[in-house]
Amino acid sequence: MAPIVIDPMIGARTVASADRSQLNGVSGEPVADVGLAPRLLAQSAVAELRADADGVPPDPAIFPRAAALFATENLAGASPNDYALNVIRSSGLTMSAVRRSVEEIVAQLTELPETTAAELPRTEFGNGFRTRWVPRGRLFAAVLASNHPAPNASWVQALFHGYSVLVRPGSRDPFTPLRLIAALTAAGLPAGKIAFLPSSHAVGEFLLGQADRGIVYGGESAVTRWRARESVAVRGPGRAKALLDADIDDTVLDHLAYSASFDGGARCNNLSAVLTSRPVAQVADGLALRLRKLPVLPATDPAADLLFLERGRAQRLERLIDSMRAELTDHSGGDSMVELDDGSVVPQPIVLSAPTASHPLVGTELPFPFVVVAPWTAADGIAPLRDSLVLNLITDRAELVSRALREPSVRKVVRGTVLPWATVPGIPHDDNFTQFLLEPKGCIGDSAE
Amino acid sequence: MTSHFDSHVRESMTWHFDTNTGSPFWLAKRAELGFDPIRDVRSAADLVLFPDVSAELRSVTVRDLVPKGLSDRVFQVYESGGTTGEPKRIVDCGYRVRMLAWARQRLLELGVPPGGDWLHLGPTGPHVAGSDVARHSAMGGGFFHSVDFDPRWVKHLMAHGLGEIAEKYLEHLLDQAEPILRTQEIAVLNTTPPVLEAICARPELYELVQSKVEAILWAGTSISLETLRQLREVFFPDKVIAGVYGNSLMGIAPQRRPVDDDIHPCVFTPFPETTRIELVGADGQPVDYGERGRVRLHLVTEEMFLPNVLERDTAVRVKPVPGEDVDGLADVQTYRALDEVEIIEGVY
Repeated sequence: MAPIVIDPMIGARTVASADRSQLNGVSGEPVADVGLAPRLLAQSAVAELRADADGVPPDPAIFPRAAALFATENLAGASPNDYALNVIRSSGLTMSAVRRSVEEIVAQLTELPETTAAELPRTEFGNGFRTRWVPRGRLFAAVLASNHPAPNASWVQALFHGYSVLVRPGSRDPFTPLRLIAALTAAGLPAGKIAFLPSSHAVGEFLLGQADRGIVYGGESAVTRWRARESVAVRGPGRAKALLDADIDDTVLDHLAYSASFDGGARCNNLSAVLTSRPVAQVADGLALRLRKLPVLPATDPAADLLFLERGRAQRLERLIDSMRAELTDHSGGDSMVELDDGSVVPQPIVLSAPTASHPLVGTELPFPFVVVAPWTAADGIAPLRDSLVLNLITDRAELVSRALREPSVRKVVRGTVLPWATVPGIPHDDNFTQFLLEPKGCIGDSAE
Repeated sequence: MTSHFDSHVRESMTWHFDTNTGSPFWLAKRAELGFDPIRDVRSAADLVLFPDVSAELRSVTVRDLVPKGLSDRVFQVYESGGTTGEPKRIVDCGYRVRMLAWARQRLLELGVPPGGDWLHLGPTGPHVAGSDVARHSAMGGGFFHSVDFDPRWVKHLMAHGLGEIAEKYLEHLLDQAEPILRTQEIAVLNTTPPVLEAICARPELYELVQSKVEAILWAGTSISLETLRQLREVFFPDKVIAGVYGNSLMGIAPQRRPVDDDIHPCVFTPFPETTRIELVGADGQPVDYGERGRVRLHLVTEEMFLPNVLERDTAVRVKPVPGEDVDGLADVQTYRALDEVEIIEGVY
């Protein structure tokens, strides 16, 4: 199959870039020939979008319409199945993970009005006193990663609230934002609200610096410099943890194994560490037993759930895992990588145990089912549970739940056998994103606006 | 076939390896070479017999680099950028002036104005770039304006994840360039692609460059094809834009004039009198025309002899234009070994 040709877009204008990058799939074959936007092209995009950005939200009916088109229609020559296969080949996710992520994006787009209502306090105070929630700026930049399609909903949310949006796709997944842009355009979004800029991370940083608000997804080194920047929402390593402070049974071990392996372990809220007051080896062995039962199947098999990696990336991960094995106890057994005939590699789930809760490798996050188990006692308290995008507390200690909620570096708490990504509109993923985008302004007097 | 350069190589062997004229550095090496340079090196192709000694330029006393035959001359010392470790040092007493006179003609062919004042936004000493550009300016009778730019500080900041400070430093540089551009008659701007990008991001500076400058020379870092197109077609369509490849060791290789069957928008050629650049594959053999290879440099001058230096750049090999015998280089990029890609923690 000839590689798909992809180029930067500024509004309705496609710019055939002279800078080409070949996007290879996990089995090494070329999937797309991608035109990259160097900084000067990105700068033109910033200027063009800003010139027309008025902060007025588009017709809200566009978004559920776009969601339906995204899920079901042929867009830019690609059927829903073509799209899924492209993501599978380039990102290594399975068909079931891509299908679920499409459902997730559809839900997030259709629930935008509910999410907005749930995340904003009341605006009418009587006697002509009211507030209006308006965008904090005009331009929004999204620097995406390629681990999972779902985070693309974040920039659509900015669009919904009136921003013009600069999208820098993850280098392995230009397909999801392209398809979303096509769906939004077909649903009636006015031209000139979006620029699509495949580019280096440096150009992504330039966009974040130029935009009024932005979001950046990536590893620690990619996001560090933005942590102190109020205008940028940072989505770094999730380091999701669980505290297992209850008797070990099949239900709880099945739950933890599923938390680690769902969507191939590629999500930022997949479980990365288990702290436990119970015997560490027993917990680690129980998890490893369950995770190692996950079969290696073709990505398109509905039962497949393990991630596929390109060989070079798998080799680098294997070296990293080997260096960790030298310090920790391995409970996984067997090879860590299974090579497939097509050249791709399936990383086998890994469960390691650490001697202490404070061991620096506790919380290490890798892009496949990977868990470090460590001992925890009440005397350890909240300290080893810090720095968690999601903290799963399986404990009867109500006081610990309260302390976890008050801990700034714990961003969400789930209790018992509830999955880390469980949500309804109004539950923050990491802080109130609607209020990150919008600010309240007083509007006092008799007139309606 | 023997060329003018081949006889230049033979003469240079006699010069650099004769105990009366050679440098202490090369005379001390002669016994370890395993061949006799004066007898065995008959042409440019034989230069690959030599080991790549460029790493030793980090530590050798520069006085030992001076050929005895030139001991009465005044020498300058210049340092390389230090991208790959400590800087390397070279000595010069006149070669660069000859090379620059040649390079000036090449630039004039591209439309760079023969006179007028220059602004250099780039490294000055210990790097050679500043004095090279100053000479270019002087050859046309122009004034040389400059704002000093320390590339090692920027590299240090980038290596330590302090990109934000590097950006502030760049802004500081542009703050200094602004009054020069505003008050002086600048005909030629010489700078690096990242500085040009930053100029384009500051409307008042961009307007000043648009209204005053006739030619923009870029050097110092590689440039992407699309960036070059954006500069030529979108940002500065009315200016002469010319690239200059080079470094402290080899000197400069300005962009040559375009010819009809060029498929590359910018092709560099080195000073044919003293310099050969080969583009080689992993096996050390030159790649075919149109193929990308790693830059291997031979510099053969009276004051410096630097054979067989493997550089950190790659480029596409381009056939010589009619009337010339030196290959061109196009689309220069930094060479990266595969094992330099390191894994970073996280799901991304």
